[in-house]
Amino acid sequence: MPPFAASNPLPSSPPKPDSNIVTIDVGGQFFQTTKQTLNSAGPKSFFAKISESQFSTPFIDRDPELFSILLSLLRTGNLPSKAKAYDMQDLMSESQFYGIENLLMNSLSSPSQFEPFNLERSVILPLNGRDTPSAIASTRFGAVHVAHGSKITSFDWSLRRKSTFLTQFSAVDSLLALSSSVVAAGATDFSGMQIIDLKRGFVKTTIEWENVTRSGSTVQAIGSSPEYLFTSFESGRRNSNSIMVYDLQSLTPVTEISHNEIFGAEIDSAVPATKLKWVSGYNLLMASGSHSGPSGVSGNIRLWDVRSENVVWELKEKSDCFADVTVSDNLSVIFKVGVHSGEAYFVDLRKLSAGNSWVCLGEEKKVTNGKKEGIGCKVEDHGNQVFCSKGGNVELWSEVIMGNAKNGEGRSEERILKKNLMGRVKDMGGHKITNLAFGGNKMFLTRKDQQCVEVWQSSTREF
Amino acid sequence: MEAGTSDLTRGTHPSDDRIKLNVGGKLFETTLSTVRSGGPDSLLSALSSRAIDDPNPVFIDRDPEIFSVLLSLLRTNTLPSTARRFSKQELADEALYYGIDAQFKAATSPPPLDGIDASIVATIRPASEGLPSTFTAAADGSVWIAHGGQISNFDWNLGHASTIRTHLDEIDSISRVWPEIAAVGSGSNAGLHFYDFSNGGNVGSVHWTDPSDPRIFKARVKAITGSENSIFAAFDCPHRENCILEVDKTRLQIASQFARQSGNQAKHMTPETLTWVPEIGVLVGSAVTAGAFGYAGYIRLWDPRSGEVVWETNEPGAGRSSRFGDSFACVGVDVEGLTLFKLCSQSGDLAMADMRHLGDDPWVYLKEKNPSLVNIDGVTSSVIHCYKRQVFVGREGDLEVWSRLGEMKNGVEGESEEAEGLYRRNFVDKKENSEKGIIKKIEGGGNRLFISREEVEGIEVWESSHSSGLISVL
Repeated sequence: MPPFAASNPLPSSPPKPDSNIVTIDVGGQFFQTTKQTLNSAGPKSFFAKISESQFSTPFIDRDPELFSILLSLLRTGNLPSKAKAYDMQDLMSESQFYGIENLLMNSLSSPSQFEPFNLERSVILPLNGRDTPSAIASTRFGAVHVAHGSKITSFDWSLRRKSTFLTQFSAVDSLLALSSSVVAAGATDFSGMQIIDLKRGFVKTTIEWENVTRSGSTVQAIGSSPEYLFTSFESGRRNSNSIMVYDLQSLTPVTEISHNEIFGAEIDSAVPATKLKWVSGYNLLMASGSHSGPSGVSGNIRLWDVRSENVVWELKEKSDCFADVTVSDNLSVIFKVGVHSGEAYFVDLRKLSAGNSWVCLGEEKKVTNGKKEGIGCKVEDHGNQVFCSKGGNVELWSEVIMGNAKNGEGRSEERILKKNLMGRVKDMGGHKITNLAFGGNKMFLTRKDQQCVEVWQSSTREF
Repeated sequence: MEAGTSDLTRGTHPSDDRIKLNVGGKLFETTLSTVRSGGPDSLLSALSSRAIDDPNPVFIDRDPEIFSVLLSLLRTNTLPSTARRFSKQELADEALYYGIDAQFKAATSPPPLDGIDASIVATIRPASEGLPSTFTAAADGSVWIAHGGQISNFDWNLGHASTIRTHLDEIDSISRVWPEIAAVGSGSNAGLHFYDFSNGGNVGSVHWTDPSDPRIFKARVKAITGSENSIFAAFDCPHRENCILEVDKTRLQIASQFARQSGNQAKHMTPETLTWVPEIGVLVGSAVTAGAFGYAGYIRLWDPRSGEVVWETNEPGAGRSSRFGDSFACVGVDVEGLTLFKLCSQSGDLAMADMRHLGDDPWVYLKEKNPSLVNIDGVTSSVIHCYKRQVFVGREGDLEVWSRLGEMKNGVEGESEEAEGLYRRNFVDKKENSEKGIIKKIEGGGNRLFISREEVEGIEVWESSHSSGLISVL
C-alpha cells in the first residue's frame, strides 16, 4: 500500500515551472507521472487540464485505486491485471469522469483485436420477454442492438449496460446501427423506415418512399456507406420497388436507383432487394433479392455505381439461387451459399468482366430432388473472412495464400478458399442461427427460439 | 466529452476546501462538498463543520473499508463494485450511522419499472405458512405480506423487518393506513382491524352495525383501500346486505356509510375491489361473479362525500357494451392516467375507458398488432394491475404488459391513429415463469412489481435493470 499523505505531507519544495513530473493527490494518495502521459489522454480530457493546473499538487476527489488503474491505462494503453478486481461498470464510469472512455474502449473492444481463428462462445446476453431476436446490428466498436418483437434492446460496447425501446413495429425485419445509440429500423409489414434514438428513447424521423400507387412503403433492406444510407422499399401493393439513397448526415434523399414498376408477369423486376451491402474498395453497392415461385427459386445480384445510377454488373440466378450472398472487400469475392445444394460458391470480383461464373467450393453435387439444403443460411463477411451459418453451426471461410513461384499471378489463377467449423464440440449444433453480426473484437449471433444474443470473442481478450 | 468538461471545474480543488478523515486508522482525503452532499443533518457534515480550523484529521471509530465504499457513493452517487464484499444490510446500517441512508437508498433502488424489460430479481418467502393470501406494496418498494394469520413486513431492501400475529385465522384484504399501521379484513372473521407494526398489537377495530336493522351483524370485510384522510372498506353480511364504510384515518372511527345494497343479484354484490382515485375524488368499486352462464359483474364510481353513484356499468345487460355476451372478467384502474381497464371474458380482449369522459359505452378495445400474439382464448383466471402508466395483465400463469408508445415527434401518425394504436402488448415473463402457477395478485410499488401465484409459496419481485446481466459461458 502506498504511503499516506499524512505521514508525508505535500512536497515542501515549490515545483520547478519547467519540471516534467506532475504530482497528483487523488483521494489522499499521491501519484507521480509525466505531462506526456497526461496529455496522451487527449487535449480535451480531464488529465490534460490537470497537467496545466496552477496548483502545485492538484487534488482530485475520486477513488485512488481506480485512478491508479486508469493511470496504467494511460501509460501503456492496456489495463493492468489488477483491474480484474473491479467491475467493468466501475471502470467505465470512472473513465467517463476522466474523459478517457475511448482509451478504455480501445484497449478492450478494438476492431483491430478481432481474431477470427480464436473466437469462442464466451458470453450470453439475455433478453427479457418471450420474443426471439429478429434482427441485430452492431457498431464498429462492438455495441449491439437487438430487435425482438416490437422492442429494440441496445447493449453498449462493454456489453454491461442495456436499454430497451418500444417501437411501433410489431416486428423489426431490418436494422442498421448508425451509431452506438441511433438505429435505422424497418419492417416488411409496416410502412416507413424509422430513425430511432435508443438512448433518449424517441423516433427521430420516419422516412417514407412516395411510390406511384400511393400505398405504404415497406422496408426490405437497409445498408450504409460512409456517405450514404441505402434503403430498399417496396410499395404496400407489392407492385413497385426501389432503392433510395439518402445522405447519411442530413437524411435527405440524394437519388433513387433501381426503381421498378411491375407490369404484367415479369417476375424479375418484381423482386425487391433484400440485402444491401456497400463494397468500399470498388465504390459499388451490392443489391440482391430472390423470389421463390412454383418454378423454383430465382434471384438477382446487382452491383450498382451509385453516382452514375448504373448497374455495373448483374448476375441472374436461375439454378441453385443464393440462400444468402455477401461481397468481401478484402478478399475481392462475391460469396454465396446455394439454396438447393447448400454449397458455398464464389466469384472473383477482379475478373468480373470475364467468364463471371460461380466457382463451387464443395463437391458440386447435382441437385435433382428439389431439396433446399441451404435454406436459411446466413453469409456475412468481416475482415479477411467470410462467415457462413449452416443450421446451428458457423463455417469460417478464409483464403490460403500460396506464396511460392508466380506471386501475384499464381494467386489470381486459382484461389484457395478453405473452411473451418467454428467452436468447440460442446458449442456445436444448437438451434438454427438466424442472424450474424460483427463489431469490435466480437461476433454476435442469434438463434431460433432463443431469447438471447450469443457473443463470441477470443478468450485472451475477455475482461 | 461534454459531461467531462462540466466536471472539470469541480474536479480539482484548492486546499482549503479539502478535508482529511481518519476512519479506523486509515486516512481519507476528500472535499467538503462531497462530505456535505449527504445533507445538513448527516454525521459527516456535522464533523466537517467542526474541522475547519483543526489541522488534524477527523477521527471516526468505524470500519475503514465500508467507509471507502460509502465515500465512493458520495462521490459518484453509485455504489462501487467493492460494495459486494459487504451485505446489503451491513451497508444500509453503516449508511444510517453516517446519516447518508437517503443516498444509499437512491443508489440501490431499482430504475423506473419498464414492463417490456423486467425480470425476476428475488422471491420473498415468509418463514412459516408461506402461502401469501394477500399483500400490499408501498411506494418505497417495501411490501406487507399476509400469510395465514400473520403479516410480515419486508422493507425497501426486501429484507425481513418484522412479523405480527393477528387474531384472524386468515387475512383476505390488507391496506396501509399509516407507515406502521395496517388495516386488515378476513372472510372468516367479522370486522376491520388495525395492527401496529411498532408494537405488534391490535390498535383498533371497526364493525358495521345498524341498530335499526337486525340483519346486520358479523359483517366481514371484502375489500379495503385508503385515501389521504380515510379508509374505505366494503362490508358484507351473511344476509346478503353490504355497504361501504368510510373510516377516519386519524381516529380510526367510522365517518360515514354509503353504497348500501341488498339482494342476490350480481349487480348488488359486495365490491371485491376498491380503488381511490384522488385526482377526481371518486371511489371505484367492482365485483365479478362467474357462473354457468358466464361472467357477470359491475363497475361503479362513487362520490364518497355525497355517497352517490357517479357512474356505473353492469355486464351483461345495461346495453352499455358494444360487445354483448363478452362481459368483463376483471377490472383495473390506472389512477395516474385516469383510465379504467377491463378484460373481456370471452374474447380475452383488453378495453380501456377514459374516466374523464365516461358515457354510455366508453370502451375502446385495444388491438393486437403482433400477429404471433393474437388468438387468445377466453380467460379463466385473470388479474389486471396498472402501474406507472402500464397495464399488467395476468392470464392464468402468463404475465403480459400493455405499454404506451412514445409520442411521435413529427406527429405523422397522431391524427389518423386512435387511442388503441398507442398500446403495445408484450410478455413480461418467459414460458417457464408462467408454468409456476396461476397469478393471483399483481401490485406495483417502488418500481417493483410484486406477484403472488396460487398455491405457490412466497412473492415474486420483478424489476427493470440497466445492467445487461450477461452470463459468461466459457
